[in-house]
Amino acid sequence: MEINKMINRAKVLFPPIFKDCFYRLITNILTWIIIVILMLPCAFGLLIYYEFSDDRLYEEVDGEKIYYTDDGELLHEDLREAYLDLSQIFGIGFIALLLGIMFSSELINEEYNTKTMQILRTSPIHPIEIFTYRYLSGVITGVAIIGLYSTIFYIIVMMGAGIHGILEELEVLALVIKIIILTWIGFLSIFCAINVYFERPYLICFIYWLFWEQIISGLNYQQLSLTHYINSIIYDSLSEMGWNVTASDYGLVNSNNDIIATDPFISTLIVFIVGISFIFIGARGIASKEF
Amino acid sequence: MNTILFEQVTKNYGKVQGISNVTLSIEPGVTGILGPNGAGKSTTMKVLLGLTRPSIGAVAVNGVDPFDNLELRKKIGFVPEYDCFYEHMSAVEYVSYFLMIHDFDSNDAIEIAQGTLTELGLHDAMHRKIRTYSRGMRQKTKIARATAFNPQILILDEPFQGADPTTRHLLMEKIKSWSNEGKTILISSHILHDVEYLTDNIILINNGSVLASGNRHEIRKLMSNIPIKVKISPIDKKKLRPLIKRMLDEKWITAGRILEEDGEIILETNKSEEFYTFLPQILKKEKIVVEKIMSEDDSLDSLYSKLVEGKQWK
Repeated sequence: MEINKMINRAKVLFPPIFKDCFYRLITNILTWIIIVILMLPCAFGLLIYYEFSDDRLYEEVDGEKIYYTDDGELLHEDLREAYLDLSQIFGIGFIALLLGIMFSSELINEEYNTKTMQILRTSPIHPIEIFTYRYLSGVITGVAIIGLYSTIFYIIVMMGAGIHGILEELEVLALVIKIIILTWIGFLSIFCAINVYFERPYLICFIYWLFWEQIISGLNYQQLSLTHYINSIIYDSLSEMGWNVTASDYGLVNSNNDIIATDPFISTLIVFIVGISFIFIGARGIASKEF
Repeated sequence: MNTILFEQVTKNYGKVQGISNVTLSIEPGVTGILGPNGAGKSTTMKVLLGLTRPSIGAVAVNGVDPFDNLELRKKIGFVPEYDCFYEHMSAVEYVSYFLMIHDFDSNDAIEIAQGTLTELGLHDAMHRKIRTYSRGMRQKTKIARATAFNPQILILDEPFQGADPTTRHLLMEKIKSWSNEGKTILISSHILHDVEYLTDNIILINNGSVLASGNRHEIRKLMSNIPIKVKISPIDKKKLRPLIKRMLDEKWITAGRILEEDGEIILETNKSEEFYTFLPQILKKEKIVVEKIMSEDDSLDSLYSKLVEGKQWK
């Protein structure tokens, strides 16, 4: 089937599937369990805010309150680091990846379980269309949920530094959202493809993430992992923003301690290439799967 | 021509054999595929739908391999035995979605979907979510999805399950009219009476092998080693004894019995052609008027039990 025809068909074939996938993902109990886990640091942040907000040091400049730490440092510079550190566990870290693994299972594996995939395989729809619609539905829903969560979390963490602090560090929020988008584009395509090929996708996805992305990403061959490219983008962006970070903070050094960070443009390109490549790999799996 | 050809097809699932050395030719019209659970009916359907590849042999639908042919799928409608819905969609959304997959314009798709669902009696419920549907409504939705785009080949796996008598009758008439239009229809059903009503062309399958295929009357004739039982009921019940005595004189009658209470005699013959040729002549000569001649052995039910339950091998 021609690419042009697929694009034209997507205008009518994608919206109903997106609606269905979005509904299924949003009504899944596991989604809400993970959202509750994600909201824990938000609740903790609120608690700290109401406990210590009266003890903050501040000065007013042009009617705007600028808050300081006890050491006289700008409070928002402290809080932004806390926000980024916690995001690397939650919004762009392990917890968000769990959501991605769950989404991929609901999007692909569940269609095998409910046998709608069998009906699609008897219909004139190309496997690339089948895979892409579900993958894109997952990316849009995942980015919407995690993006919204990260924004709420940002506001809760940064409100300790007042309106000034929130507005001053929007760059960090933009970076986190950029990383969320790239993470979902890269990882969800891999997870979805795993769901096509394996009968126990949860386990395989988790093993892949743990052994490949976590162990390989700390070694000399880390360019083989997506985490390397995501970390390269974070490292470069933080350096650009003037943060005091080193390549080794993000594991972007080899055994000789040479910096092996990849250029952010190349990294972004590679994430997209990985996303597209796994669309083809997943579609091939759908086409060759026997029932 | 919408033809389906199986050439020595074997499909193995690991060590389990789905079908074995199946050779078939299915022509336009209705063909019934019959067999007990696990006989290989579903595997046969999966192979011809391109859902699985044969381990050995070749399948051709309209001359092409069905496994990865998108063009061919535009011509095949499939009603599976199992549910296969996007439960959050309404029937109209579901059927029109599959019509759009067949390149129908979205407005046309909705219009055709509504028309098809209305025809199948789902007018009042077609905008409700499928998850709220009863079994019968789900069955109608499946049939609407498979037939709305006017396919040339229809594969119907237990299409009458869950259908109420009105729907069953409607479906029967639809299948007959599709058959008259020249469509190739392969139908699997546990209700032999339904298949018998629709067609004489059958494929009997058991343990993965085709036991018989073709016209059921012809198949029955070929099973000459199994006597056919025919009930004859004369109007004048006093003629029961003379009639059985006369019939037993014929060498092609192997046994006979009188059922006094029912006013019938039962005759067994292993030469059905001679039986049906000479019986009218004998009755005429003996001046015996009969009100009923009936052979239950000629029914699909009987044929099925004889072949599938292996009675012909005993």
